[in-house]
Amino acid sequence: MFLPQWDAIFLRLAVRLSSRLPFVNIYLPIAEMSVNILVLFGMGAGVGFLSGMFGVGGGFLMTPLLIFYNIPPAVAVATEANQIVASSFSGALAHFRRGTVDIKLGVVLLIGGIAGSVIGVAIFSELRKAGQLDLIISILYVVFLGSIGTLMCIESINAIRKSRRSPEEVAPLPEQKNWITNLPFKVRFEKSQLYLSVIPILVLGMLVGILASIMGVGGGFIMVPAMIYLLRVPTNVVIGTSLFQIMFVTAFTTIAQSATNQTVDVVLAFILMVGGVIGAQFGARAGTKLKGEQLRALLGLIVLAVCARLGWDLVNMPTELFSLDLGGH
Amino acid sequence: MKRFLIVVLSFFIAPIFMMKGAVAQERPKSSIQMGLSDEVIEISSSFDGTDIIVFGSIENPDPMLVSEQQMLGQGRYDVVVVLSGPMQEVTVRRKEKILGIWANGASVKFGDVPASYAYATTRPLFEIAEAVDVKLLQIGLENLSVVPREVEEVEGTAETAEDLQRVFRESLARLKIDKDLFEENIGGVQFLSPTLFKVELPIPANVPIGEHTARVFLFADGKFLDAQFEKISVRKIGFEQFTYNLAHSNGLLYGIIAVLVAMFTGWAASVIFRKD
Repeated sequence: MFLPQWDAIFLRLAVRLSSRLPFVNIYLPIAEMSVNILVLFGMGAGVGFLSGMFGVGGGFLMTPLLIFYNIPPAVAVATEANQIVASSFSGALAHFRRGTVDIKLGVVLLIGGIAGSVIGVAIFSELRKAGQLDLIISILYVVFLGSIGTLMCIESINAIRKSRRSPEEVAPLPEQKNWITNLPFKVRFEKSQLYLSVIPILVLGMLVGILASIMGVGGGFIMVPAMIYLLRVPTNVVIGTSLFQIMFVTAFTTIAQSATNQTVDVVLAFILMVGGVIGAQFGARAGTKLKGEQLRALLGLIVLAVCARLGWDLVNMPTELFSLDLGGH
Repeated sequence: MKRFLIVVLSFFIAPIFMMKGAVAQERPKSSIQMGLSDEVIEISSSFDGTDIIVFGSIENPDPMLVSEQQMLGQGRYDVVVVLSGPMQEVTVRRKEKILGIWANGASVKFGDVPASYAYATTRPLFEIAEAVDVKLLQIGLENLSVVPREVEEVEGTAETAEDLQRVFRESLARLKIDKDLFEENIGGVQFLSPTLFKVELPIPANVPIGEHTARVFLFADGKFLDAQFEKISVRKIGFEQFTYNLAHSNGLLYGIIAVLVAMFTGWAASVIFRKD
């Protein structure tokens, strides 16, 4: 079986061509390697474009790309958390100005998130010592990208079909009470007009915190649907509130990773940030010209492609079975 | 009185030593001297690897060996130059297929592995000296005395512990070569004159930080004669040094700065690209 690794071929070609230019190679102080600044900037801008277009964080695409570019997975994950601080901060600011952030709900999510981040960073350190970090990162990505990509594709195909038949029909949220409404420690969230137990909110926040520290993602792709379908948070405050939580959780994760594992590379993060925020602007403009369902189908396909590549690397016999791990690094 | 005696005695003794030297015609032992093109290698943001030139000369050469060397290439002086990085502990892991997925299985942790090791010679090692001597001097990738410290085996494999260690040790060298951290250059040491030699050794982009050592070894007729060494300091400078040191000495502060940089970038983006 042969699967051409086009991304690798393309990357190699781009690197070959541009490394002749001056000031192109930059040394990353934490990753301790010389990289091509244009490639990284391009990756940041490309993922930023997609995230602007689809309104997603992009961490789940950026981290695998960094790994494909031979950045050590430990550095890729921790650095990506740092980049997400930048992208979610500008998003959260915009929502804050518009008043579409439920601060109280966000703070409860954040408490869970910080607990999750502490747990996640500890798991990260242990996996790293055991030499299984790269594997677990890959498996988590394959599982999450695979299921989310599939769901996105199915959902958007259904939506496209439905919109052809009756464009006005919108599925109302089922109103029946679920098990979540029976949990204790209820708190009133005025902005969201909810009277809800803090337990599911804390658990959700914690789950996202763990993902942020082990996978280098914001976790919006889990938090947003969970807030809408499980917590019944009004859709107008969902994005703003989740960005609020993501920003603080990734900020906390960045600090915790720096203090525990020394794996955050600020130089790498900065290049990606600048590329990311610029790409996101153009992506957002391009996104307004495409239909929502088509966008989601396209994103679903991209997610599945990244998943397939990571999955292939897991099951395909590697050309080099051995690897070096510097003790204490 | 005492002083007078010493002076008188030395008048008698000194000529005896002089005469002895003259009579026996004993040539002073050949030795080696060395120099480096750089004693400090600084890693800045544009660092993409470099070369270091190790040069030197043979002092008090035996004229027989020098002339023969030019004529026959046998019974001659040989020089080996070794450049080795700081010692490290390295764990070598091997992937094994577990439930259809390639995951890290057995591992061997080695102590005293030079982070980098490059050597160059005038001829293949086996022509220069006896294998025992070369091993004793730890010249060559096979002769590094890396010590297996911890061995984690996977159950159900038929390999003996020795087999495992040997395979992992070979893989360690292979992987280091792949990363340009181990390098051999047989015949790379050039003689510019009968006694002057020079070699250019590569310093890769991923050179490990720390104190490196350059050693030169002199051999003649298959025998080890002399060795010298010089230290080379490889360090990050400027921003790279600051970032690296801060990250490793005060990770908390480093993390806070990283977050502030990110927040500033995010804020700047929202100001620059504001829609209204």
